[in-house]
Amino acid sequence: MMKANLLALPLALAAAGVAYASSGMLPEDALNVQIKKAKDPSYLVQSPQNIMMMPDNPAWIVAEEGEKLFKEARGPKNASLEKCDFGKGPGVVEGAHAELPRYFADTGKVMDLDTRLVHCMKTLQGFTNDDPAIKQKHGSKSDMMKLQTYIGSKSSGYAWNPPMNHPLEKAMRDAGEVMFYRRSATMDFNCATCHTQTGKRIRASVLPNVYEPTEWTKAISWPAHRTSHDEVRSSQHRALECLWQMRYPNIKNGSDASIAMISFWTDAARGEPAIVPDLKR
Amino acid sequence: MFKKTPLAALAAASLLLIAGGCTATNAGKTEAAKPAPVAAAAAPVAAPAAAPAVKVDYTKMSAKDLAEYLIFQSDSYDLKQPTQEGTTGRARLEQDMIQKTCSLMKGQELSDKDREKVMAAAAASIKYPEGGIKLGDWKNGRELAWSGFGFRTAHNPDDHTGRQAGGNCYNCHQLATDRTGGDIGPSLTGYGKNRGTSPDMLKYTYDVIYNAHAYFACTNMPRIGAMGVLNQNQIADVMAYLFDPASPVNK
Repeated sequence: MMKANLLALPLALAAAGVAYASSGMLPEDALNVQIKKAKDPSYLVQSPQNIMMMPDNPAWIVAEEGEKLFKEARGPKNASLEKCDFGKGPGVVEGAHAELPRYFADTGKVMDLDTRLVHCMKTLQGFTNDDPAIKQKHGSKSDMMKLQTYIGSKSSGYAWNPPMNHPLEKAMRDAGEVMFYRRSATMDFNCATCHTQTGKRIRASVLPNVYEPTEWTKAISWPAHRTSHDEVRSSQHRALECLWQMRYPNIKNGSDASIAMISFWTDAARGEPAIVPDLKR
Repeated sequence: MFKKTPLAALAAASLLLIAGGCTATNAGKTEAAKPAPVAAAAAPVAAPAAAPAVKVDYTKMSAKDLAEYLIFQSDSYDLKQPTQEGTTGRARLEQDMIQKTCSLMKGQELSDKDREKVMAAAAASIKYPEGGIKLGDWKNGRELAWSGFGFRTAHNPDDHTGRQAGGNCYNCHQLATDRTGGDIGPSLTGYGKNRGTSPDMLKYTYDVIYNAHAYFACTNMPRIGAMGVLNQNQIADVMAYLFDPASPVNK
């Protein structure tokens, strides 16, 4: 079982404050490190129930199903995803999600976990956009969420470290930053309206602050089980839902605008450990 | 905010003309894949396809130009999505002067000139009810203050037929304490009790609901009246919720 593998983690590393952890940590342990570090842990804690449920996160079942799917020969080409290159070489999932989005020379694009996974399912397995395996992007029962949760969980405890060596990585991150502050639509909202102060609330929900990497890592740690939805959700889904509340039109899954935003928000958590799968309200 | 040198502007303009030497970019594929919508029409002559795919090099654009490109030209948003006010997704994403001026990045401060410009435009936008500002029905105001429904589109559009769009007040403000409000905006608990109901206070409150930028340039507060979130009668109801001695806000 995957949790057992993760238990062999060098917690001491994180406790010693190593900036760029290069090995895993259970999500609840990574979260506890952040809670101890934070000046105001209200966003990180969310609720005592949330902390209590972390070890029994329903997302672990989704991740286990994802591991099976990942290793199974599937699609018209009858191949597994074990040769998929998430940026650290074919088949390497350990720590890969913490270094996404990144530039991929084979597509000439900056890709996040979602878009890179789709790319591999098309090229290695022969799936097309119309196949349910790719088309169904959301929900714990979708192949996409099962696979993303498995792959993501292999980066838990790894420090976010999306590369900025390729000019396109930097360009996308910088455009994402502009979009973070760009106000528009019915309510004049930008991302900054809700995400530039610590401990502030929309109704009862505590909001994460982009300027505090210690708490921001939880905000961007997807896939995560959302208790209010009872589903595991992705980064792409987070962008979609925020923008819906902001009264923006529909953003397309895997679009360049979505990748730019995710590039910026991941960069803002640089050096902090990924908490995946996470549990959020 | 983005200091544009003439050189940078030139470089940005020439982007659309030059097929850059750079190889593939994030833009290339979506541009090439764009269908020509006229093809199915009865025209016997082959309709001229959309402009030939142009390779746009994202790395040669300023961050601001790239953001605009990604929003409007990279097939990222459903720009044709219908809105409740009868416009399109594109209109929702286009910025007016206040939105543009108030898109301040980290550490960036509003200049005095821009502050005056925003405040003047906001004040000019405010339309008052014929017969003056009056208080309406606090009970409907309470529902409007609570409701976060309305004007959302994306994957789950709000259907305004049969249900009024709300004011979203509780998202950011605490009002009557029997319900939990947010705290991005100031607490408005006891609003009328603490301030009284002088004509000046009523006008000020109406203005702030209608377009708060008239007093607080580049505030987070949505322009509830100016953007048509609530109409004048609904604003009167919300004001009653704030001012009426019988309203739970003042209990």
